[in-house]
Amino acid sequence: MKKSHRLLGLFSNFEEATKAIYDIRADKVSGVSVKDVTLISPIEHPEVEEALGDRGVHVQFFTLFGGLFGLIGSWVWISAAQATFLVQPQGGKPVVTLVTNFVLNYEMMILGGVLFTLIGLLVGARLPSRPGTLYSEKISLDQIGILLEVNEPNLAPLKSLFHQHNVVEIREEIIR
Amino acid sequence: MKDIAIHSQENDIREDLPWKQINTDILRSLDNPRRGYWYSIIVCLVLLAIGFTAEVIQYRTGMGMSKNHPHMWNLYIATFIFWIGMSHSGTLLSAILHIVHADWRKPIYRFAEAMTTFSLMTALLFPVIHLGRLWNFYWVVPYIPSRGTWPNFRSPLSWDGFAIMTYLTSSALFLYIGMLPDLAIARDNTTGWRKQLYSTLSLGWCGNDRQWRVFRKAYMLMAIFLIPLAVSVHSIVSSDFAMSINPGWHVTTFPPYFVAGALYSGCAAIITLFILLRYYFRWEEYMTLPILEKICKLTFAIAMMWTYLNLVEFASVWYGHDVYGKEVLWGKMTGAYAPAFWSMMFFGSVLPFALAFRTLRRHIPTMMAVSILLNVGMWLERWMIVSPTLSQSFYPWSWDVMWPTLTSWAIVLGSFGWFGLLFLVFVKIFPSVSMYEVKEMVYHRKLATEKAAAHVGGGAPAYGAHTKKEDAV
Amino acid sequence: MSSLQNLIDNWSQYRKGIEQGGFHHYEHRWGMAIDLNACIGCNACSTACYAENNLAVVGPERFAQGHFMHWLRVERYWDQPDKEFPEQGASFLPMMCQQCGAAPCEPVCPVVATYHTPDGLNAQVYNRCIGSRYCNNNCPYRVRYFNFWSYYETSWPEPLNMQLNPDLTVRDKGVMEKCTFCVQRIRTAKDKAKMENRKVKDGEFTTACAQACPTNAIHFGDLMDPESQVTKLWATHQVSRVDEQGRPRHEQDKQNPELRGYRVLEELNTDPSVMYLERVRETLA
Repeated sequence: MKKSHRLLGLFSNFEEATKAIYDIRADKVSGVSVKDVTLISPIEHPEVEEALGDRGVHVQFFTLFGGLFGLIGSWVWISAAQATFLVQPQGGKPVVTLVTNFVLNYEMMILGGVLFTLIGLLVGARLPSRPGTLYSEKISLDQIGILLEVNEPNLAPLKSLFHQHNVVEIREEIIR
Repeated sequence: MKDIAIHSQENDIREDLPWKQINTDILRSLDNPRRGYWYSIIVCLVLLAIGFTAEVIQYRTGMGMSKNHPHMWNLYIATFIFWIGMSHSGTLLSAILHIVHADWRKPIYRFAEAMTTFSLMTALLFPVIHLGRLWNFYWVVPYIPSRGTWPNFRSPLSWDGFAIMTYLTSSALFLYIGMLPDLAIARDNTTGWRKQLYSTLSLGWCGNDRQWRVFRKAYMLMAIFLIPLAVSVHSIVSSDFAMSINPGWHVTTFPPYFVAGALYSGCAAIITLFILLRYYFRWEEYMTLPILEKICKLTFAIAMMWTYLNLVEFASVWYGHDVYGKEVLWGKMTGAYAPAFWSMMFFGSVLPFALAFRTLRRHIPTMMAVSILLNVGMWLERWMIVSPTLSQSFYPWSWDVMWPTLTSWAIVLGSFGWFGLLFLVFVKIFPSVSMYEVKEMVYHRKLATEKAAAHVGGGAPAYGAHTKKEDAV
Repeated sequence: MSSLQNLIDNWSQYRKGIEQGGFHHYEHRWGMAIDLNACIGCNACSTACYAENNLAVVGPERFAQGHFMHWLRVERYWDQPDKEFPEQGASFLPMMCQQCGAAPCEPVCPVVATYHTPDGLNAQVYNRCIGSRYCNNNCPYRVRYFNFWSYYETSWPEPLNMQLNPDLTVRDKGVMEKCTFCVQRIRTAKDKAKMENRKVKDGEFTTACAQACPTNAIHFGDLMDPESQVTKLWATHQVSRVDEQGRPRHEQDKQNPELRGYRVLEELNTDPSVMYLERVRETLA
């Protein structure tokens, strides 16, 4: 259900912004649920994000997959490569040496984990993206923003809620 | 209130630092450079040119310019290990201290991470330079060969390649990802080509809660991976020696010994760069003396760790009646390389005691000199691992003392120029102090102080955190 | 993928190291027995090796710097401290690549430029070598030689280049080389025997050093051939390569003074293919 307006309220006091979200959570404004709230902030705010509720992160599954892929994939690859040699630089050791292959498997597990974490970050955070028209440069300075998409009737109550909590600036745009 | 006032003199950072000032101060470093910067660049280019010339001569005439039989490895491998070692401190600060939530790392870990990435890039020069036929160096890379000529995965040199490439990739990615919020700040506060650059690099970061959530988790996961990686990388580099049969090299303490030495030389380099950046960019607010003290204490602890591992290696040789090992050790202590050996012992084990005294720790010129000398000691240590064993190995016929040639020294100098160049370019293009983390540090410390004051004073907590933000938008 | 299939098919073979008898059985195992009591230190063997294998004569300055290329070097040892003349009482040891069964130089090469042949030789592939020089660092005998310079530019000025042996290459700078037990002669003899549908006979060919030695101190042959001279010498002096289970061993019966066979630095478990005949004495140096 597409909403008609997008509203960004900029706060300079983080406690007030938190209170505003708790108010939305408590359904002080009808038709606006806390799930629609996006918080934009200059630093990471675990305590403010608590107000938003648990939204779940899935990066760790990427990491797990990447690590296992690196570990098992590298073992198969390296052992097969060692087995293809017609002549062997053995030095008295077996052809497929588990001890030495383990070193490389460990490294590849870490590489796989790191690369897949990067992919997980890009996918999960939906990067690269454009900041959006409602982004204010003040956010990278020291203000925190609450971004919501709402319908016309909920616009005014929401704005008054923001003003109750000492909003510094409100920006809005109409979603086409 | 008086207690809090005294406490704040010793704070790692001023708790009422306005965020606007943090942005301005750090972004100031990205401005067009002044004369001193250009002089530094010229010095680095000169060193690099010396190294490059020497390398061209060596390439054209042969490795005889710097090696002989039995000294088949000499300064290049020693310097290689030195640079890999220096790279460990960034991981220590970024990753290990991040996991234990030591927030005093926040103003300084960015340049340490950069130092890690660039020392790895410098170190990577050497496995190529020391090869007799360096134009074929790519045979060590396991591209899928059409004739089945894979590299030898049993060889520690092959492990080196994998490990260092993994470490370089991971460190560079860690550095970049950690910089995303800062690049967004830079994007918002610059114009022209810089704005274009930072817009591209920041991937459109806007700081919404989804991004922060995923970022926090991904960063922590990468930090968790980076720590065993750092330990394993330098262990693998040590296995170039430990996996060989030579006396003096085939020592089981080499992996932890090398890792300790790496942390040591990295921390010393952090002190050096800390002082340089603090002076050059006038970042006394961020790179404060209490943080310097903490780094010095950490360096001291690691120095003692390294000293112990060094001495225990000697003890195990003495204990084991390993004839060959004893000969090599005796040769190190009393033979041709003895001056270098004892200098190493002095710089590595005695000099760090300067870090144990508070007055010395707070005296910047002393710390500058001490940190450089500690790194000299660590470089000597690497050299003393490579050369004495090669000069006095199992076979007496091949015993020979060789001193490094002019070519070797020139190329080693060139590597310092290369590193300097990379680092100087970095500090002008990327913010070398993490703005968002410093904001976090200030914010959380302020909250903590207020909570403590509320506990003690029993009054309403004074906000005032962002009172200055009411002014012009 | 065929290499994966290969791996699965031969898994048990590929897991065998030298303690389990190795992963292939030797058809030949070339070895030497060098009688140090017969050696007079004349260096004919070394000279023959230079001629046979296109070794570069580097000149006295480069030799002093440690840039020599003698694959076979005759070492001199003195065990009597107070002598009237410095040359008195020298013992000679011709040292060349020991073609170790468990060669420490093999696993450390990053590009597989050195490998173990089914002949029991340690082979060096000049084309593959990128010159990392780890192999010499790991060789306990230090018998590998690195081309530190482009010796071919100065070692054989016209018309000396006409003397070069066409059966093998001249090496450029940056590659490692070492004694190959005159592998070009071995290959020629094996090819000839194969064409004539017979086995290689003991004494049919030999290495350049053994051929040149005036006192017949160097014996070369096939250790897998029970009738060859080297096998008999090894057996006589109770130096055996492998025990009953096919695992390498190294021991010397020191009680019987007639038993003079030993292998250099055996305790490092390199399983060398060269046995020296000399009574190993414990003297205070």
